[in-house]
Amino acid sequence: MEGAGLYLHCPFCSFVCPYCDFAVRRLGDRDLGGFVATILREAELRADWPEAIDSIYLGGGTPSLLPPAELERLLGGLRARLPIVPGAVLHLEANPEDVDDEALGAWRDLGVRFLSLGVQSLDDRALRFLGRRHDARGARQAIARAVAAGFEVVSVDLIFGLPDQDRARWLADIEAATPPGVDHLSCYQLTVKPGTLFSRRVELGRLAEIGDEEQGRFFAFTHEVLEARGFEAYEVSNFARRPDARSRHNRKYWRQVPYLGLGPAAHSFTGRERFWNEAEEGAWTAAIQADRLPEAGRERLEDLDLAQEALLLGLRCPEGVDLARLESRWSFRPSARALARLETFVTAGLLEHEGTRIKPSRRGLAVADSIAADLAC
Amino acid sequence: MDQIRNFCIIAHIDHGKSTLADRIIQACGAVSDRDFRDQILDSMDIERERGITIKSNTITLDYEARDGRKYRLNLIDTPGHVDFSHEVRRSLMSCEGALVVVDAAQGVEAQTVANLYIALEYNLEMIPVINKIDLPAADPERVREEIDADLGLDPFTAVLCSAKKGIGIDDVLEAIVRLPAPRGDPEAPLRALIFDAHYDPYRGVILYCRIMEGRVHTRQKVHFMYTDAEYQVEELGFVRLKPEKREQLEAGDVGYIVCGIKTIRDIHIGDTMTWAEKGASAPLPGYKEAKPVVFSSLYPMSRDDYEDLARALEKLAINDAALTYEKDTSAALGFGFRCGFLGLLHLDVVQERLSREFDQSLLLTAPSVLYKLTLNDGSELDVDNPSYFPDPSTIREIREPYIRAAIIIPEEFLGQVMELCREHRADETVFGYLSVGRIEVKSELPLGEVLFDYYDKLKNVTRGYGSFDYEIIDYRPSDIVKVDILVNREKVDALAQLVHRDKARPRALRYCERLAESIPRQQFKIPIQGAIGGTIIARSTINAFRKDVTAKCYGGDITRKRKLLEKQKAGKKKMKTVGSVDIPQEAFLAVLRNDADKKK
Repeated sequence: MEGAGLYLHCPFCSFVCPYCDFAVRRLGDRDLGGFVATILREAELRADWPEAIDSIYLGGGTPSLLPPAELERLLGGLRARLPIVPGAVLHLEANPEDVDDEALGAWRDLGVRFLSLGVQSLDDRALRFLGRRHDARGARQAIARAVAAGFEVVSVDLIFGLPDQDRARWLADIEAATPPGVDHLSCYQLTVKPGTLFSRRVELGRLAEIGDEEQGRFFAFTHEVLEARGFEAYEVSNFARRPDARSRHNRKYWRQVPYLGLGPAAHSFTGRERFWNEAEEGAWTAAIQADRLPEAGRERLEDLDLAQEALLLGLRCPEGVDLARLESRWSFRPSARALARLETFVTAGLLEHEGTRIKPSRRGLAVADSIAADLAC
Repeated sequence: MDQIRNFCIIAHIDHGKSTLADRIIQACGAVSDRDFRDQILDSMDIERERGITIKSNTITLDYEARDGRKYRLNLIDTPGHVDFSHEVRRSLMSCEGALVVVDAAQGVEAQTVANLYIALEYNLEMIPVINKIDLPAADPERVREEIDADLGLDPFTAVLCSAKKGIGIDDVLEAIVRLPAPRGDPEAPLRALIFDAHYDPYRGVILYCRIMEGRVHTRQKVHFMYTDAEYQVEELGFVRLKPEKREQLEAGDVGYIVCGIKTIRDIHIGDTMTWAEKGASAPLPGYKEAKPVVFSSLYPMSRDDYEDLARALEKLAINDAALTYEKDTSAALGFGFRCGFLGLLHLDVVQERLSREFDQSLLLTAPSVLYKLTLNDGSELDVDNPSYFPDPSTIREIREPYIRAAIIIPEEFLGQVMELCREHRADETVFGYLSVGRIEVKSELPLGEVLFDYYDKLKNVTRGYGSFDYEIIDYRPSDIVKVDILVNREKVDALAQLVHRDKARPRALRYCERLAESIPRQQFKIPIQGAIGGTIIARSTINAFRKDVTAKCYGGDITRKRKLLEKQKAGKKKMKTVGSVDIPQEAFLAVLRNDADKKK
């Protein structure tokens, strides 16, 4: 049986990107040892987590800022406090500027099997626009070194849909990001989030998001190009060159497998309940130091909620959703209106039926949110 | 009887009828200044706001004239719009005289002329009243000329006043005294004209009547000659600001009668009341049933509100005998009511009352007239609802109602107005000068043409100076087709309409374009089509949106995604689903709103 996931949020970056709305802050001269100690204390408070954990994901933020010694202490401490199975997959997010042979060696020795590089682009102009600290050359070197270091999976994160990014430049990014040995790719479309520097720029009229038509074209182009290069889109934004290169951890989110989140703003899911931590590092730390769970909220999901989530999450993946399962598990049946809508989606080539399963086509994936919302209500 | 005067006031909207009525009531001391509420006769808010009077009210006043005698003045209020001309008739029949109010600045308008013609039919004595003489733009001399030329009244009998400023009100009252006293034999069998009625939750129907001949007293059994029903009089009296109970009413009197009638539908306005025993042999002449000529289906915005709408209509119909309604259903809009109205204003008044007094938001389908069909097998069929329009191959002939429109305009707009009439399929348009620079255009055109943007255009081309009035004259053969609107190849029944073949394409195109603008884009391309039978005559397209999926669903934060569902659920409530396409209420409104011009 599939185990649960463990997500750990490291809320520090050496520099906060202007498009990022995650719970992050500048590291400054902060002592990461203190952060690790607090995380371990939180893990103690969560020692009653019932499910065996078979994947650990170190995300952020920039977890690659953690010195190898702190990382070792962190992982050892987590294993001592939580039911982590021996063969658990360890994912690590790393920024290219933190990637050198020494760090790579240390990470591999610590058991990192899946390394995600926050490259975002391999075009200097785009990197400057995105406010990244590395340049294209550095990114290429980081990719090459990571591949050479012999991780099970090396993954690259890219962002597309930048202003005045044409297809040629985007194609060049994809090509540079996927040399042999890079078997996983996450391609996120640039989204301007409220409260970010980019959203301020939009307000001031200095930045314009591309329209949905253009977004749709970029989305389709991305999927076509990657398919031609041997990548399978196993989720809206995630591509794997071989089935065992898929992210075991991230798939848990889309398939409603339980996961525990540690660190500021981390979310957890038990299969029936969701709870989430204080987003501010200070509030999170204070709660834990006072021996309190650092939860900011918690909710219980009814059968209907779970079924609706299953649609929202399941339609992000090409295997789609089995309606029979929704009915047997949560007594959920789409409304008459939703069924009529479903047939229209099938006719329009957005969904396809496979027995009781509905599967989004590539065009369907691009509008999966509204399709799911239509079918869920 | 010598000291009774029964009179009404005829005026164009905004020429100051209600204000003049108020001043007359005030001058007769029927209400103390402190209690005075402007425009007391317009008891409903909506009338106050629109400046028109929908239900005629009446009031009895005492006036001591300059000759030292005391008179009893019965002021009978008349509605001021062509839709309500049957009500005007009943009111006029109850009077011996009328004040014809003309705005000192605006002059004579079409409606004044129309009502004057009706008044002439009943041999009413008329006194011209030139109101608003205080206005800087007032030109009483020019208006006198118009009174002479357009109305054919003696301009030298005209009374000058300003109801607003209270100038000349005594002169108006003295002029009323000079009107003829009622005649009618008090010893003859009773003949009373029912000219108005309203429903009182405690007393049932309250009738307003003018006793033409004979007498009636409490506890007497009475017979209604048209409905052939008998009742016993429970109470009667004069209508003052509060009812004044009496034992008896007699020839010449105007008053109220309560006789145990349960609903307004049990009586016919215009009916003649006589004694149950030894009653009159013939009813009063001139009875005409008020028949709806404009039809539209009303649907509640939310399907859950159907019951409320049903109750609201029922309540409204208690005091509006002219309103007809029956259940209607639409695949797109659910349950609603097919309603019949006396005209567009009536439709508008009903809609506003429903929304205001009963807190109802409504969708109204395109107004339709009643078409008369002869089928191939020789049978006749009346159709006012596109849903019941038969297969065109079974129809031998279709006839539609025609009106004679009277439009009064300054002469510089003649060309545009003639063109407007032509565009609206006028059969015959003639014009004549009423006075220097003022023209009356008479045009025979289909009533159905007036329902669709005609008033707006008239107002536009005449820059607001045109006035309009109409009467239905006859039915004429016409080439009417049913236009269907299809969204994603599914018919939207509520948007179907009956229209002349020549107008079908532009009308359909307009619907298609408005829908395309107001239906949000969806995940797939949606064709919007207008069709006659299987032939597409108009088309527009709503393109699909291409991308909406959030890029990152990361770190397990699902709560944000669920907001999507909440938004979707909230949005759904405001949508009507046709086939598998959600059409927002605003789209129906955008399409249907401007069809009926309601600003007249």
